[in-house]
Amino acid sequence: MARNRRHDDDDDEEYEEEEEEEEEEEEEVVRRGKGAGGRKRGRSDFIDDTALEDDEDEEDEEDDDDEDFGRGGGGGGGGRGKKRRSGSEFFELEAAVDSDEGEEDDEEGEDDFINDAGADLPDEEEGRRLHRPSILMGEDQEDVDEIERQVYERYAKSSHVEYGDDATEVEQQALLPSVKDPKLWMVKCAIGHERETAICLMQKFIDRADLQIKSAIALDHLKNYIYVEAEKEAHVKEACKGLRNIYSSAKIMLVPIKEMTDVLSVESKSVDLARDTWVRMKIGIYKGDLAKVVDVDNVRQRVTVKLIPRVDLQTLANKLEGRDIGKKKTFVPPPRFFNIDEAREMRIRVERRRDRDSGEYFEMVDGLMFKDGFLYKTVSFKSISSQNIQPTFDELEKFRKPGDDVNGDVASLSTLFANRKKGHFMKGDAVIVVRGDLKNLEGWVEKVEEDTVHIRPKMPDLPKTLAFNEKELCKYFKPGDHVKVVSGVQEGATGMVVKVEGHVLIILSDTTKEHIRVFADHVVESSEITTGVTRIGDYELHDLVMLDNMSFGVIIRVESEAFQVLKGVPDRPEVVLIKLREIKSKIDRRTNAKDRSNNIVSVKDVVRVIEGPCKGKQGPVEHIHKGILFIYDRHHLEHAGFICAKAQSCVVVGGSNRGHGMNGVDALDSRFGGLRSSSNVLQSPRRLPPRGPPTNFGGRFGGGRFGGGRGHDSLVGRCIKIKSGPFKGYRGRVKEITSGFVRVELDSQMKIVTVKRDEISDTPGAATPFRESRFASGSETPMHPSRTPLHPIQTPMRDPSATPIHDGMRTPLRNRAWAPMSPPSAEPNLHFSRGSRNFAIIRSFVKIFHIATISL
Amino acid sequence: MGSGKRGDYMGDDDRMAQFAQIPTSFGHELRACLRCRLVKTYDQFRESGCENCPFLEMDKEHDNVVNCTTPNFTGIISVMDPSRSWAARWLRIGRFIPGCYTLAVSEELPEEYQTVCADNNVQYVPPKRS
Repeated sequence: MARNRRHDDDDDEEYEEEEEEEEEEEEEVVRRGKGAGGRKRGRSDFIDDTALEDDEDEEDEEDDDDEDFGRGGGGGGGGRGKKRRSGSEFFELEAAVDSDEGEEDDEEGEDDFINDAGADLPDEEEGRRLHRPSILMGEDQEDVDEIERQVYERYAKSSHVEYGDDATEVEQQALLPSVKDPKLWMVKCAIGHERETAICLMQKFIDRADLQIKSAIALDHLKNYIYVEAEKEAHVKEACKGLRNIYSSAKIMLVPIKEMTDVLSVESKSVDLARDTWVRMKIGIYKGDLAKVVDVDNVRQRVTVKLIPRVDLQTLANKLEGRDIGKKKTFVPPPRFFNIDEAREMRIRVERRRDRDSGEYFEMVDGLMFKDGFLYKTVSFKSISSQNIQPTFDELEKFRKPGDDVNGDVASLSTLFANRKKGHFMKGDAVIVVRGDLKNLEGWVEKVEEDTVHIRPKMPDLPKTLAFNEKELCKYFKPGDHVKVVSGVQEGATGMVVKVEGHVLIILSDTTKEHIRVFADHVVESSEITTGVTRIGDYELHDLVMLDNMSFGVIIRVESEAFQVLKGVPDRPEVVLIKLREIKSKIDRRTNAKDRSNNIVSVKDVVRVIEGPCKGKQGPVEHIHKGILFIYDRHHLEHAGFICAKAQSCVVVGGSNRGHGMNGVDALDSRFGGLRSSSNVLQSPRRLPPRGPPTNFGGRFGGGRFGGGRGHDSLVGRCIKIKSGPFKGYRGRVKEITSGFVRVELDSQMKIVTVKRDEISDTPGAATPFRESRFASGSETPMHPSRTPLHPIQTPMRDPSATPIHDGMRTPLRNRAWAPMSPPSAEPNLHFSRGSRNFAIIRSFVKIFHIATISL
Repeated sequence: MGSGKRGDYMGDDDRMAQFAQIPTSFGHELRACLRCRLVKTYDQFRESGCENCPFLEMDKEHDNVVNCTTPNFTGIISVMDPSRSWAARWLRIGRFIPGCYTLAVSEELPEEYQTVCADNNVQYVPPKRS
């Protein structure tokens, strides 16, 4: 037997070729099955086959086939014998002996299968096959046909069972493409016609016998290309010849094996649209708008949504009346709730009708359905996107019209939670249960897992930790908590919780001192205090900037991408939101204006508004431009304390000091009543941030008027030393600061020079005597700085009222005892701090009286 | 099954019977059988049922067509040679007859039809949900 077997092995192999053509598919299938772990399969084949077939002949043939599957199994069977008999000289007749040993053969088949080494020689087989197709075919045609038919039947019956096995046993891994499988080729085709092309290829395959491609794939998401599966590129080319949709010049690209499975993997999008979910429109004028699902029609693939209407009542009225105003499609009307009365005013016919599908009443206008101000629209699934919808806070607010009960709101918010990103609870967060039996239970988060959150409840009687679904919890804050916003529009803001309204917190922002509303979800507890952004690009908070259209304003708030600018319109406060690129330039020029009393107002002067809406407000002037003042009042609550007023509607108050100097000014004022001028002058000896001489009276002294620096008040007035540059080594006092440069009044020269910011250094305690800058005024002696800030001035100075002078004068006159010599020295002492003019007058008086007394 | 070489052996009838009907249009009427993912138009299903799933009896009952097929499917693959095609194997349609199939359907076969499948010893694999 063994020998026979061996012979038969050879014979088998030779014989293989014959049968192989006819049975190559089955074999190959089984081969593959074997590769996958199909010993079992092979056996089941055997079992099935022998069980199903009744005919002995067929049985024999099946045995043969089985043996063939075994590839080297057993001796030649009867069928083979038959074939040999029919004329193939290549096979020995000996093998006929084995024809009856079906069972044995099976076993042998199995054994041989185990020992089989022939599985490694497919190429050889094929090679041999090629040699003799013609000879064999002609002779064995009928038998071959028969065999085929039987094989087909077998397959037809067993297909179901085997398919079942296939799916459950064979893992996807095992089905990965191998080098033996046909390759995937990518072919360019007419755009939009991919499906058509694939189906045309199918049709072509049916019509013609010789199409050698195995399949054609058209993917929905890949436009312009189809995939063709074939062994050779030539097959693909052949198949694509003559097709209208495939360009003849189209390149055929091979898909690497590793990418083959990606071609066929489909992203399954679960189309679960439930009522009350939030979606966004993808097309039309409502593109991008938030909408709420009201009804889902799976049969027709349509969904009814609720939107905030964007109707232009005017165009609607025109259209209905027949007046054609032409297509104004470029204009998208802003979203606004629909008001029946408004529509009726425009003479639009509004009908109250009952919708047959839903049974509710709607107001119908021109085919659009409205209810409660919302527009109800029925659209197909394709025109809405339901994944990853994150409605912003503002949108939700808008949707929640006044009149909606809070419960409705909570319900809609809870669907919002379904969409919110996971994993935002952290250990230690205070949370509250919002759904379920334990609603309103407060607790702290202990542990966060994939979908469940464990909390430690506040109630003492409950167990230590309770587990909840993420969707049932919501972060909880109490008024007084300091929090930081971590997502949403207000991201980055910090503040204190002032009020809690369901899911919404009202927070008092640290930076802007305004109330902001945020979702509890978007907030974490934190003690961080943000200073906020103060500058974007070149522009800082409180800068005066020039806007595009000849308007200007002060930046009162810096937001994430834009500025809030208080415009230079004096009568009513106008705030606009400006983007960075809309700002033309910064206004840095130092200008002056005249106030009501014709006094010159310059920056940093304290003025009081006496007219207009801000009447009574007072504060230092921050900017002046074109006769309009921007005043900063700490007590003013709006617009970051800035007031815009015409220069003519203000009066200068006190000195040119800022807020904190006001007290001193007031004191002086009270002392001297209207003697404003003198008090201003008297300020100069003081050590308060010295300014130039007051410029608010006509007889001003020459010599620089110095506009205030830009917020760098700490440096202005400081004694500094110049470190480098042509003025190196000089000491001076900072008069004014502009961007990058500093104007310094040199101590040694009567000069103000401009030096760079970094060329000066602080020299504290530079005890140079304060130089009265009014050197042009003619006082030749420098006045020693009186160190006491509020040096009470004994006598008003250049007062034309000659009272002090009189007094001073009289005394020596009456008193004859006065030595003639002394008056000149005594009197001037009294008036020492006066100007030179007085001095001269006194002196002349003294001289006259002196002469007079002598003569007497 | 129907490879080019076999053309000589089999009669044309045999071959034609081995192919599923090809969809005659590409619009909204296209539907995919929920079990075998064969793609045809509604009318074709109504006429000749599903070649792979005759037990669903679509040709007899109009409702069966509506319940067992869906217009929601992704991608089309024309399988000429299911036994030899790797793509067909990967998609587990390697045992069905040549025709146009879809890569994935979006819905599951309703319960009652799943039992019908089980009764007929036919396996039903629900679509993967990722």
